[in-house]
This record gives sequence, C-alpha cells and structure tokens, in this order.
Amino acid sequence: MKSYLSLIPISAKVHRRQNKMTLLCIIFAVFLVTAVFSMAEMGIRMEQTRLLNKHGDLTFQEVMNSTTGQTLCITAVIFFVLILTAGVLMISSSINSNVTQRTKFFGMMRCIGMSKQQIIHFVKLEALNWCKTAIPIGILLGIIVTWGLCAILRFLVSEEFSDIPLFGISMVGIISGVIVGIVTVLIAAGAPAKRASKVSPVKAASGNSENAENMNHAVNINLFKIETALGIHHAVSAKKTLLLMTGSFALTIILFLSFSVLITFVGYIMPQSAAASDVTISDIDNSNGIDHAFLNIISKMDGVKRVFGRRGIFDIPAHLDSNAVEIDMVSYDDFDLDCLVKDDMLKKGSDISKVYGNSNYVLAAWDKESTLEIGDKIYVGYEELEIAGLLKYDPFSSDGLTNGEITLITSGDTFIRLTGAADYLLLLIQTTGDATDEDITAIRNILDQNCTLNDLRGQRTSGTYTAFIFCIYAFLSIITLVTVLNIVNSISMSVSSKIKTYGAMRAVGMDQRQISKMIAAEAFTYAVSGGIVGSTAGLIIYRLLYNVLIGSHFSYAIWSLPTIPLLIILLFVCMAAITAAYIPAKQIHSMAITAAINEL
Amino acid sequence: MNLLEISNICKTYGSGETAVHALKNVSFSVSKGEYVAVIGESGSGKSTLLNMIGALDTPTSGRITIGGMDIFSMDDRRLTVFRRRNIGFIFQSFNLIPELTVEQNIMFPVLLDYQKPDKKYLEELLTVLNLKERRNHLPSQLSGGQQQRAAIGRALITRPSLILADEPTGNLDTQNSSEVITLLKEASKKYEQTIIMITHARNLAQTADHVLQVSDGVLTDLGRCRE
Repeated sequence: MKSYLSLIPISAKVHRRQNKMTLLCIIFAVFLVTAVFSMAEMGIRMEQTRLLNKHGDLTFQEVMNSTTGQTLCITAVIFFVLILTAGVLMISSSINSNVTQRTKFFGMMRCIGMSKQQIIHFVKLEALNWCKTAIPIGILLGIIVTWGLCAILRFLVSEEFSDIPLFGISMVGIISGVIVGIVTVLIAAGAPAKRASKVSPVKAASGNSENAENMNHAVNINLFKIETALGIHHAVSAKKTLLLMTGSFALTIILFLSFSVLITFVGYIMPQSAAASDVTISDIDNSNGIDHAFLNIISKMDGVKRVFGRRGIFDIPAHLDSNAVEIDMVSYDDFDLDCLVKDDMLKKGSDISKVYGNSNYVLAAWDKESTLEIGDKIYVGYEELEIAGLLKYDPFSSDGLTNGEITLITSGDTFIRLTGAADYLLLLIQTTGDATDEDITAIRNILDQNCTLNDLRGQRTSGTYTAFIFCIYAFLSIITLVTVLNIVNSISMSVSSKIKTYGAMRAVGMDQRQISKMIAAEAFTYAVSGGIVGSTAGLIIYRLLYNVLIGSHFSYAIWSLPTIPLLIILLFVCMAAITAAYIPAKQIHSMAITAAINEL
Repeated sequence: MNLLEISNICKTYGSGETAVHALKNVSFSVSKGEYVAVIGESGSGKSTLLNMIGALDTPTSGRITIGGMDIFSMDDRRLTVFRRRNIGFIFQSFNLIPELTVEQNIMFPVLLDYQKPDKKYLEELLTVLNLKERRNHLPSQLSGGQQQRAAIGRALITRPSLILADEPTGNLDTQNSSEVITLLKEASKKYEQTIIMITHARNLAQTADHVLQVSDGVLTDLGRCRE
C-alpha cells in the first residue's frame, strides 16, 4: 500500500455486492444521457442531410435556429436536467446508504488517525473509483443502443428516416455522458462524504446502534398499531433518507409524466386514426356525386379491406336559439362513427349511441371558442336536431379550429332523411397489407370521370409513430426499472442498518408478520410522500412541457389532467413500495434471530 | 414442580471436519421460582444454551419443555406469541428500541399483543425500577444502568414465568451490577418467576439458588448455593 487511498480498490472488492446498485445508477445516468444526446445528434445530422438535398446549402446553425431545432433544444435541456437530478438523487441515496452501513468503519478510521478532510477525500475518491468502470460501460451501452435505434429507424421504419446515419459516433453524446457521470457522482458524494467525516471516533469503540444518537423524538403510538407507528417513525425520523427516498419516488413520477407528454406530442404530429384511409375517392364538383352503389362494388374488390363514405351539404340555413345560422352537415357511416369513439375524439358527456340509425340526434365539431353545448337544438327546415355529442376539435379544418362555423355530423340514414341525398361526396378505402398497385388501378378503372382517386398509401406514418412510441416506452421502462431498483435497494439498506434492533424486537415477541408490516409502513411512508411531491411537481412539469411542445403548435389542443398516466405511475409506485418492503422482509424472515441480534 | 425441562440438547454448527459441537447432550431441569446462574468461559456454549431455551435458536437434537409445552413443536407464529407472553429477555447490550421512550420500551411486548398495558402494574414497575422520572426519556438519554433497568422492566411487563438474562451486568459498573441483580432477585421472589442468568462474575453466580457450568458444550451441575 502506497497511501491510505490504496484502501479504496481493496474496499471496493470486498463490498462488491453493496456497490452494485451505485454502479448501476451511474451506468444508467451515463447511458441515458449518451443515448439521448447521440440520438439527438443523429436526428440533426439526418435533418441536415435532408434539408441539404432539398435546399442545396444549409449550415448546422441554421438547423438549430429553426423552430423545430429550438423546440428540440428546450425539450432536450428539460430532460437533461431531469436525468441529471435523477442521477444525483439515486447515486446520492446509494452512497448515503453505503456510508450509513459503514459508520463503524469510518469511526475506526478516525480512531486510528484519519482526519476529517481525509475521510471526505476517501469517500469522494471511492465514488470516482466507481466511475472508472461505470462511465465506459454507460457510454458503450449508449452508443450500442443508439446504433440499434438508428438501424431500426432506417431499415424497419425507413420513410423519412432513410437518411439517418447508421454507425454514427456522437462526440456530444460521449462528452455529455462523461460529464454527467463525473458531475453527478461528485455532487452525489458531497453530502455523504461530509456525513462520514462527522462520524465520531467513539462509534468504533462503543457498541451503540448507529441510529441511537439521531433519535430526538419518540414514536407516537396512539394513532397506529405499534409496528405501523414504528415503521412510519423509521421513515420520518431519518430526514436525509426521507428526502432522498421521497425524491426517488417523486422523480420516477415526474419522469414518467414528462415522457408521457412526448407520447401525446407524437400523437399530435402523427395522428393515428382508426378511420385513416389508404385511398380516397372524391367528387370533382364537391357535390354528392359518387354513386352509392360503388361502396358495395369496391368493397368486394381485391386488396380492399374496408370502404366507407361521407356525404356533405354546406351552408344550409338553420336556426339555433331562434337565431338564423348557416350550418354544414356531413354524414358518417357506422364504421366512421365507431372510429370517433376509438380515437377518443368525443368530449365528455357525449352520447354517440343516439346518433346511429335514423334519428334526430347529431354530433357537432367544437373548439375552445365554440358556444355549442350538448343538448342544444338546431332547427333545419321543420326538423329539430339535438346535439348528442361534441368533437374535441374540428376534423374538417387544417388547424382543428371551427372558426365560428357550425358543422354537424349525422348518421347516413339521418342525412338521407333530411336531405334526400343518398350518393357520396367522399369514399374512403382501407387496403389490405398486400394490396398492389394493380388493385388500385382496378378501382380507378371502374370510376366515372367526375371522380378522382388519391392513393395515400405512401403517406402512412404508422411505422414512424410505432418507432417513436417504442423509443419513448423503452426509455420510460428503463427509467422506471432503475428507479424502482434503487428504491428497493435503499429500503433494503435502511433495513440492514437496523437489523440488530429488528433482531431484538423479534426476541421480545414481534412476529414475522409484524416485522413485515413495520417495513411496509416505512416503504409506504416514502411512497406516499414521494407520490404527493411527485404528482404535484410532475403535473406542473407536464403542463409546462405540454405548453412548449403541444399547446404552442396545436391551437385546438386542450390540456387535460393526465389521469391515466398518473394512475399507471402511482400503481407502479405502489408496486415498487410492495417489492421494496417484501425483499428485505423476506431477508429478515430467513435470518435467525440470534444472527440478527449479533449483527454488528 | 419443574417449569423448565431440557433433555439431551445437542447443537452442532457446520458439518464434516469443520463441525463445531456447541452443546453436547445437555440435560437439566429448573423448578418454578428458581434463580439459576450459568457460568463458563467465552465460547463455551452458554449463550447458545440460553438462545435454545428462549426459542431464538433451534437445537440439532433434543427437547425443551416450558410449563409442559414442547417449544419446538410449535410453528413460528405460535412460538413468537409464546415467547412474547412467557419468556422475558435481558441482554448484555440492553437492546432497547432506540426510538421508543422508557415507558414505551417497557410496554413494548404488551403492545405487540395489541393489548392495553396494566397501568397499575406499569407504575409499580417504574417505581421499583426507579425510572418514574425517566419514563419519557429515550434510551440514548439514559445511563447504562438506567437502560438495563428499562430492559428488566420490559422483561417483567408480561409477568413471564421465565426470565433469561445474558450477562445483564456485562456492560455495567459494580454498583449498577449489584442493583440490577438485587432487582432481578426481588422480582423473582415477588412474582414467582424463574430466572436463568449467564454471568462471568463468580460473585454474582454465588447469589443464585443453583449454579450450572458450561465447558466445551458440556454442562456440569455445580449444585445449590443458597441452601
């Protein structure tokens, strides 16, 4: 041994098992940042190539100065900060538990002459020692995952991704990975290092429990049963652990909600409708001139999966609240109406079931400025039509806004009764996966001259959409998995540090069920406080990201509480708390009472 | 009448060449209200024996009955409840729950049974143990002697028929040691409790009714002292 610091690698070897979690946290942070930044650089390079092919000359700066570039930058920065915070919290919690478990060791070091400064130095260098292994692994993983994702985008999705570089190495990704690794570790090690330096040398000599001195408040046993009260007290009394655990739980929720904005965002830029058609046939004169018999004929042709049509009459005089208005009326076939429900296009309170068949009920397009309400009655001639439901936006305008116009959607039967027009304005065709160009030509050939056929098969975005969603969910799963692992590990370490007390409790008559309940109460206290903080902060960040990504670009988008993502992540948090309680509880169960009491 | 009967207890750790025989065919019995001291060198098997009697550890072979109940025929849950209600433990390092006050620590086994403690008995114990003024203090705010007295209170609160003390004076000075022993003896007399105490101190052992010696896992009855 050349210096006292030579103890670090020796100690790391001995504590390999306990260090595994800290290593995993660093690898995760480095990997995530490398992958995110590498993918961003690949995306920008691809965009540059695409724009170069299109415009001939475009600098990197110009790409970055574009609205898309800036939106990407803001989003990347928000995610960078979130990942950095997640990393700091997780690594800090891991190192903190590591230090707590070795109070006696640090006491002994102080006993044999290590100064406070040397202890701080020791803990920080020990943390940096992990970087030696974790950073290269994280970067390598990040690069490999980027290559894999690029390959998927290029070969499986292709479309606009055919220009994406395949084996690109992003220096930005690698450098940010290294920086994040070192910075998070140094920030994370700061507090535990100070804590370790404050360990009194007496700790090494006395057999007292490490926690005993920190106990300032007694347990309140009046509100809960003794084991629950003790569990809650364990969580609440150790302020630093409570803060870190609450932070870990909260961050899982924040990251989950933030990533779910991305999913909504992808839904807006690439809307996936169940009624999306591959081929459309429209009437040149914009009148209902397509013979309704075509519907049956085309539906029996090769390569056709489904055909449905829409009729339309515009600027019909009508009365709403005794005011004269002009309305547009569009008919939807049953499948089209079904798709409105599948695509979640209807506002709360809508009852689409009334609209089907020959009825007096209709749907209406809606936006924030619209005054229409469910139950409003519109008079067309002698007919009274009641609005049974509202659409979240106007599907017939490019910006989703109604611009003050009233558009009603009726069923086919109602439309025919009201207008007498049975022929179609538009036929929408969904093709089978193996439909050939010949099949489309065959359809074109049976049409008369006043119809035009548009082949939209090349504009499908479902592959790109799936790829994006896949990437987002992959990141989301990794984040959730690692944070859950971290929570489980932290609670497990917290239990290990109290194992002697648990042994004594078992000896004086606490049964295994009560021990499990005590640990569960501790885990759930963290989960509840994390849940409250995470949901509050998560919703604020969700709102912020929603406004930046969606609100400012899609004027018809209306923010609503992300109930389902919130419920999903809270369920995950509960499951994490159950797992976090189950694993250490099982460890204690399998441990003999005498072994627990004698544990140092 | 015998409260405790131990027959042919053996405890072996490990197997083959590395096997350590911590207890070898130990048999003895203790009658109700008796105060027994167990002496022996470090590593002789005293604590192992006490852990077996307290059902904290299981023997490799043999049988232990307390009040006629074969303790190892019970499943873990029943055994825990049995231990909670019938056996009081006093450890050398006190093992009080750091986040509970003196009063809560004493009440702890009763609370684990979801029962309300007998207030009168609790007050009596706090008075006898001289802890009345310290009832709301946490263990970290007490001296070693006070902590051990609180641990004795915890062992007595359920009025167990058997009290097991593993070197209860090991961490105490002479004055506190004699106080603790006096308290234990008084309790045993007053509440008709059987006490088995491990000790290194021969002078403390001499105050017991009966002294047993463990050496290399073999138990020798050194006979009665106070007769």
